[in-house]
Amino acid sequence: MKPRVVPFGEGALLVELGNEFQEDVVAWARGIASHWETILKLGPAVPAYASVVLRFDPLRIESARAETFAAELLARGESAAVAATKQGRLVEIPTTYDGPDLAETAERSKLSVDELVALHATRDYTAYFLGFMPGFAYCGRLDPKIVSSRLERPRERVPAGSVAIADGQTGVYPFASPGGWRLIGRTERAMFDPSAADPVLISAGDRVRFVPQ
Amino acid sequence: MIRIIEAGLRSTIQDRGRLGHLRSGLPPAGAADPFALAAANALVGNAEEAAGIEIIGTVFKFICDDSRVVAVAGRDVSVGTRSRLPGWSSVFVRAGQTVTVYSGERTRFAYLAVSGGIATDPVLGSRSSYLPAGLGTALRAGDALPLGDPNAGAEDAGRRIEPTVYDERVRAMTGPHDDRFEKDVSARFFGEAFAVQPASDRQGVRLGGVPIAPRAGELLSCGVVAGAVQVPRGGAPIVLLADHGTTGGYPVIATVITADIGKVAQRMPGESLHFYRVDRDKALDALRAERLALSIR
Repeated sequence: MKPRVVPFGEGALLVELGNEFQEDVVAWARGIASHWETILKLGPAVPAYASVVLRFDPLRIESARAETFAAELLARGESAAVAATKQGRLVEIPTTYDGPDLAETAERSKLSVDELVALHATRDYTAYFLGFMPGFAYCGRLDPKIVSSRLERPRERVPAGSVAIADGQTGVYPFASPGGWRLIGRTERAMFDPSAADPVLISAGDRVRFVPQ
Repeated sequence: MIRIIEAGLRSTIQDRGRLGHLRSGLPPAGAADPFALAAANALVGNAEEAAGIEIIGTVFKFICDDSRVVAVAGRDVSVGTRSRLPGWSSVFVRAGQTVTVYSGERTRFAYLAVSGGIATDPVLGSRSSYLPAGLGTALRAGDALPLGDPNAGAEDAGRRIEPTVYDERVRAMTGPHDDRFEKDVSARFFGEAFAVQPASDRQGVRLGGVPIAPRAGELLSCGVVAGAVQVPRGGAPIVLLADHGTTGGYPVIATVITADIGKVAQRMPGESLHFYRVDRDKALDALRAERLALSIR
């Protein structure tokens, strides 16, 4: 698809960059969001896999003007947007690999548990964006040798701190919640702390490394 | 201080919401019926960013340590001091006088504003409660909350703002994912009535009725806004409200205009809801009309 800007209600625009998940497109989305928020200062932005929601106050900024800004941002292209994003930090997540889905996932992947743990823990992931719940970072990519299809039956309650995988990605549940990702481990680190100025441990664009305990 | 004597079923402090941390996955929260809170604030002379109390379930009863102007707004609400007065009007209350916020049979959310505003410490730029992440708490009998300095006094009693007409007509703009629905399905969405399901809450209002199934194919999760009408594969739409997740994985067939989000929030389970298509200019006109209605001084 050709990238485009469409209205999302009267107070937001949706920038669609594509239909498929690609790491460079995710970085492009983050770049556009940062530019809108921190350089143009027009309002909050929410990047995702291949899109960005750009919010603005339609009583202060004319919609047509906001659309022009968004179209210009889009026209600057991917490389400019990505180049402008600041380098993320490295975040280490001390992890105890004892999740309830660990053995079964290893078996499906035709790996030993130790091999699966090694594959999960030895690569640095990129935090693509946050969503689903406060502090939940979608990180990837997983080693393709790990089979990471979602559970056929989502759990009614996944404990806070669960280290999980699904769809080629990994993440940590900040709070107890229902969830369909495979649980392979757990961490004591808080993913969301409202008393901190920056409440999240992992921000979009960070590099994330799981360290076996 | 405002001292709570009875706290209803669930009452929380809310303001316009917390838009500064959407990128952290933190839902905006804020009043589910934003115009009702804005009206209550305007009636007691508060700034638009002031915090009030969102009340679910009756009865909510309180006293203030000093004299204040109070106002209650929402669907089917009234306020009791010595006598019972209609909502959407300002009432002067003396120190220690018991005030009761009454919800009616058709109230989902009632809003209480007190002159000066609820002055708890903001967290991450807002006083809005978001209980799933431990922001704020459900208020309880015996709680005492600080109030800011009032901008209104006895002479400001008796002001009125025209209440929202909480009918079934809800205006929405198409999209952004309207191209993921067949034309006749989109037409049905704007033609049929939907019934509000009991599982509705501050996250969203779930609708039943004729299925509005999107075309086959996955949608990558993308950011969403309050008012977005998400349609999961089964075809039962969900209208997102204040506590919506910051991203969603379902196509959004239409987006309820900001001015009508409160009407959606206040629909009772079993009541019907009917979407009408409007363009952006109409949505902006409605927003300006709201703003005008709030400028009562």
